[in-house]
Amino acid sequence: MSAGLLERPAAPAQTLALRSLAALEARRYARSPLFLIGVSLLVWTTTVATGDLAKNAATADPGDLDLLPAFCLGLLGVFVGHQLTRSLDGADEALGATPSDRVRRTAALCLACLVPGVVALVWVGWMSAALAMWRIPLSASISSGARAAMLLSGAVCAVGGPLFGVLVARWTRFPGSALVAVVVLAGWTLLSPRSAAWVAGGSPGWYLAYLVLLCGLAASAALFPGSTGPRRTRVLRVLGSLAVVAVVCLVLAVLPDPARIPL
Amino acid sequence: MNTTASVELTGITKRYRGTTALEGVDLSLRPGITGLLGPNGAGKTTLLRILATVLAPDAGVVRLLGRVPTSAEALAEIRRRLGYLPQEMGFPRGFTGFAFVEYVAVLKEWTARDSRHEEVRRVLDLVDLGDVATRRVRALSGGQRRRVGLAQALLGAPDLLLLDEPTTGVDPEQRVSLRQVLSTAGERSTIVLSTHQTEDVAALCDRVVVLDRGRILFDGSVRDLVGTARGRVWLADAPDPQARASWRTGTGRHRNVGALAPRGSEPTEPTLEDAYLLLLGGRGQTTGVAA
Repeated sequence: MSAGLLERPAAPAQTLALRSLAALEARRYARSPLFLIGVSLLVWTTTVATGDLAKNAATADPGDLDLLPAFCLGLLGVFVGHQLTRSLDGADEALGATPSDRVRRTAALCLACLVPGVVALVWVGWMSAALAMWRIPLSASISSGARAAMLLSGAVCAVGGPLFGVLVARWTRFPGSALVAVVVLAGWTLLSPRSAAWVAGGSPGWYLAYLVLLCGLAASAALFPGSTGPRRTRVLRVLGSLAVVAVVCLVLAVLPDPARIPL
Repeated sequence: MNTTASVELTGITKRYRGTTALEGVDLSLRPGITGLLGPNGAGKTTLLRILATVLAPDAGVVRLLGRVPTSAEALAEIRRRLGYLPQEMGFPRGFTGFAFVEYVAVLKEWTARDSRHEEVRRVLDLVDLGDVATRRVRALSGGQRRRVGLAQALLGAPDLLLLDEPTTGVDPEQRVSLRQVLSTAGERSTIVLSTHQTEDVAALCDRVVVLDRGRILFDGSVRDLVGTARGRVWLADAPDPQARASWRTGTGRHRNVGALAPRGSEPTEPTLEDAYLLLLGGRGQTTGVAA
């Protein structure tokens, strides 16, 4: 075609192609204005919260600090995941004629949702350091392991929110579906057995496992549209297995943990 | 030049809720540029979408680049060698021209960053967008956006290049420039150019397919189609009500297409547009003439 024509690449391994696409989607995620707002909000609220903890170290209660990444990165992440998924709808026909099918593109978007997870993990490290530095005592009812699980559950929610956004974008077409998803997610969180379970002596560890499985469910369900043949069967099988294990984890999470002293 | 058929369609039929878009279309294409003409709703876009593997026919056999796109592997293999510019193309907010073409390059499995960037720059230069590659696509003019779309289709010098109205909104200078790009590409690739611009087809294509109401009305060389209008186009001082089409030209004389020679008229060399008008005008008689 021209003198400087490059050789078309040979078919790369599936994982390599997915990795390249995921890296590109991760860059898009990291540059999303809403994500940057969420990170700023997280830094600001955490700075204020840890400052308060430092001032009242003896009597401080870290309480529901783990909700911060869930709110700042997870809830806002629903919009980010949704927006990233739908942003290329206009070019869908051209993109559909490339060797990267919809399933691969969705998988790359799901991997990009790890970006807020990485930020949330940094936050977990920050919080753990702050709690240790100011020797903030653990609550009588919560062990250090449970405390770590609670902090980590915030990080998992930071990933789960955007995954839910991708899922909603792949399954719905109506305008405002992201907003509806956020309302549903917020309602689900408020009505979930989480807070009550801790008070009753439930297990944050199992709850963390349950949240991880919910993330897996969201990703699998997002991959379902567009998958065909044996791949569709595989996705269905994974969805079913994850759902069963998630229910088991939830039951274990709300059952009283014998290792803990309920309040 | 490779002379094996890149596209082989047999009995392709496609219907949308009772409306027939394509009816038993047979087509075989080899490297070179084929123009696809037809009125709105003739089935051109449906045909291109089937060739681009984004739409499956209801009936018939499709063979592209030697493979039948039924399995995921065959689809991926075909798509690696395919470039497609759809009729309508939206661009995501915030993307620059470079970023958008690079995104498509990643989807086309250019995994090595350096060679990918080099290829993206090459295709952007081909469509004369090298200077504005870092500007947001939404800030570009309609013609420039169309060229961004064309650039992504040209990635990797595809063996099968499908272009649905590529010159819409493109200024005359750029159109000529694009013709150069496509004529070079057509030396090694099979290009299907769907358009309403008969002058683009006349300038570029060695073969023309005219579709009407889902059927092929004409399939042959541009010269043969133009030849069907010879002796049926006249310049006269007045419009002829018997003509298929008649209009006043810049010289003040009237061009009468498909008319018997009016008094005082003189025959003139027909264009592809004249032949196309005559073909569609007489479609009641010529349906089934397809080669």
